[in-house]
Amino acid sequence: MPSLSSLAYYAIHPRELRQIIQWKVWHNPVHERDETKDPASLKRCFDFLHLTSRSFTAVILELHPELLVPVALFYLALRGLDTVEDDMTLSLDTKEPILRNFHDILEEDGWNFDGNGPNEKDRQLLVEFNVVVEEFKKIKPAYKAIIKDITKRMGNGMADYVKNAEFNVNGVDTVADYELYCHYVAGLVGEGCTRLFVEGGLANAALLSRPELMESMGQMLQQVNIIRDIKEDHDDGRRFWPKEIWSKHVDKFEDLFKPENKELALNTSTEMILNALNRADDCLYYLAGLREQSVFNFCAIPQSMAIATLDVCFQNHDIFKKNVKITKGSACQLMTESSQNLQLVCEVFRRHTRKIHHKNNPHDPNFLKISITCGRIEQFIESIFPSHPKPVDMKSPASIEEAAKKKVEDAEAKWDTIYLILAVVCTILVITSSMIFIAWLAGARFDIAFAQLKEQLGDLFSWSSNSTIAEVAKDASGHSEL
Amino acid sequence: MDHPRVLVTGGTGFLGSEIVKALVETKSFEITVIDLNPPALGTASFSDVRYVRANILNPAELAEVFMEARPSIVVHTVGVYPLGEARYHMQGKEAVFQINVTGTMNVLQAAKTCGAKGLVYTSSVTVLLDELQADFRNADETWPTGRATTSYGQSKTVAESLVLSANTTDFATCSLRSAPIFGPNDPATIPILHGCIRRGETPFILGDATNLVDFVYVANVADAHVLAARNLLNSATAAGEAFFITNGEPITTRDFCVALWKEFGHIPRFQIKIPKGLAWWMGWGAEWVCWITGTEGTFSRGAIYDATKWGYVSISKARRILGYNPRVKLPEALKLSGQHFRQQFSDRVKK
Repeated sequence: MPSLSSLAYYAIHPRELRQIIQWKVWHNPVHERDETKDPASLKRCFDFLHLTSRSFTAVILELHPELLVPVALFYLALRGLDTVEDDMTLSLDTKEPILRNFHDILEEDGWNFDGNGPNEKDRQLLVEFNVVVEEFKKIKPAYKAIIKDITKRMGNGMADYVKNAEFNVNGVDTVADYELYCHYVAGLVGEGCTRLFVEGGLANAALLSRPELMESMGQMLQQVNIIRDIKEDHDDGRRFWPKEIWSKHVDKFEDLFKPENKELALNTSTEMILNALNRADDCLYYLAGLREQSVFNFCAIPQSMAIATLDVCFQNHDIFKKNVKITKGSACQLMTESSQNLQLVCEVFRRHTRKIHHKNNPHDPNFLKISITCGRIEQFIESIFPSHPKPVDMKSPASIEEAAKKKVEDAEAKWDTIYLILAVVCTILVITSSMIFIAWLAGARFDIAFAQLKEQLGDLFSWSSNSTIAEVAKDASGHSEL
Repeated sequence: MDHPRVLVTGGTGFLGSEIVKALVETKSFEITVIDLNPPALGTASFSDVRYVRANILNPAELAEVFMEARPSIVVHTVGVYPLGEARYHMQGKEAVFQINVTGTMNVLQAAKTCGAKGLVYTSSVTVLLDELQADFRNADETWPTGRATTSYGQSKTVAESLVLSANTTDFATCSLRSAPIFGPNDPATIPILHGCIRRGETPFILGDATNLVDFVYVANVADAHVLAARNLLNSATAAGEAFFITNGEPITTRDFCVALWKEFGHIPRFQIKIPKGLAWWMGWGAEWVCWITGTEGTFSRGAIYDATKWGYVSISKARRILGYNPRVKLPEALKLSGQHFRQQFSDRVKK
């Protein structure tokens, strides 16, 4: 049941309500899953998917049947890793071997783990992890190999961070460290998904030869989360914003949250957003390599949400005070626009890029760089979807020929239109005249109708033509006597 | 080892001297410079470069210098551009055409006669973009030229087609269409935009300020000329081709101005947006006022079109064929130019 406050909100934002209704009413999943034949363990896996993932469940569930289960299990495996890494109640000695061996655990019959703290929200997943293992063993070996490889690399990366005392006390140091962290937790997911798509024949294999593109897909999502969650992470004692960036603006990390440092905090957030925004054109490039609609949606929806989130976070001091989110109405609009084609997604990117550009503050040290990055995204979109056709070159012989051909075509099209209009006019004429003829045969009095019409027009424009009316009327009455 | 000989026309000018500097830095050319003026005070001149005074409008003089220098490759940078209001009307067209077109013809003739293997011509994006009432987004070199409406754009178009049609197997030519150039010693872009601060024009924005345009830092254009010269002497894949040369960072004019003004410590305290339609009428009115009073104004419809039109291009052809890569990015370029001009302005105050 919606709360009173949200009802009030939608009462004054009917457009957003409209977007929500449109999404709920008109969106049809690309592929629908038939759950009836699923074994109990797979059903349980999907239960966990619903429990653990908020944003990803919907797009995963609509994936092509070939990839649905592998991607869902991939997601659960990573979620399992994450749950071990995140839990502050676990000792390092317990964590490290689990993280480093998680790829083998995926095939270890009956493995589960109940050592998580009671407050860990996804602890039940690990308690019943045997169902994930059971299903994992059933998928195609090629998919298994990909998921295991990524899990292994991510688990080892996480273990390194968990062991890194410096990171635990002071947070991320340099931009390179920050991007490395994002690589482990998100860039690798991008790689894993891409390899699954290509293996399943649903994406262009060329994507694998441009690894920076899939890396950017993951980096973009993760960096946006880190930017948006600055307040929440700070409250939980975690720091992901690299010192290399914030130390340019404030002396101590805590200073970012002091109200008197508003401008400095905003300058810091601009630099963080700039770093993420630089990935936008790569992401669009990547999306162009996807062949299948459900895979496109799976990738495009989170990206659109990410650029929209960057837009609401840009020059917004609220991110240091509370959790800033895009509204549900805009989220539904973004989902509608991102589940169709690349051109619409480019429109979404262009719209939010322009909004960011519009909010750009000349006092900000990164004013110029933000402006250049916005220009670059705009140019990239223009390069894939030009907004103007190139004018015809009257000098070059090739285009003169082309122009002549076009002229002939235009002339043909013109005559086609003329014939069409003539045909319509003739048809109407034939029908009208035969109707009039039939009416005349049946004894219609056109002279009276005509006179009355004249009279009424006369009234309308107040001509004084009484005499003619009288005459015709007399004539008419005389006629009727016959 | 014998280095190829290169001759640079206009080699003491703003762009010319930067090209000479870039050529000297490669240490693989023997350089002759011709210009009307000796190297200006405060600009770099090089001991192993031969400076000769010559006028490109004097064919006899040119022939003599060229026969003596016997360059393998000629870099022709000489050109004039009318500034301010003169940019938008056709008065003074003859003078512009004489230097930009006749001058280029003379240089081509002299280069061919002395047995040069090629010529690099400094053209301008205006050959395409000076069709003032049209917008250009991400245009490339396949877009047809010849629709420019300014005397400068037209003269550059004619000169460029002369250069490109002179291309033969023995004499390779190419044309570099540079965006508006800025940098230290820049005689136009930066002084003009800096002047807005003094005149109190900085708060006013014409149009919606979303239109993207290109600029280019002088050292990057110089790089492109060196690359083109080398290409024509070696593989000659650039022969007969035109290339857009910009910083590859399209930006709104407004943001470029603001970033530049920031270098001089000025940030407009408020902003007033003048809609394009209103601006057009204001320009029209200003033109009438100027006509009646017989004065020269800075505001006209041409200036409005210039300020509100989209005009940026793609440099992928130059990247692909010449291996061009704008080395100095805009933030760095503006910083360097700002430093130079701050120094120059404060020196001027001291005097």
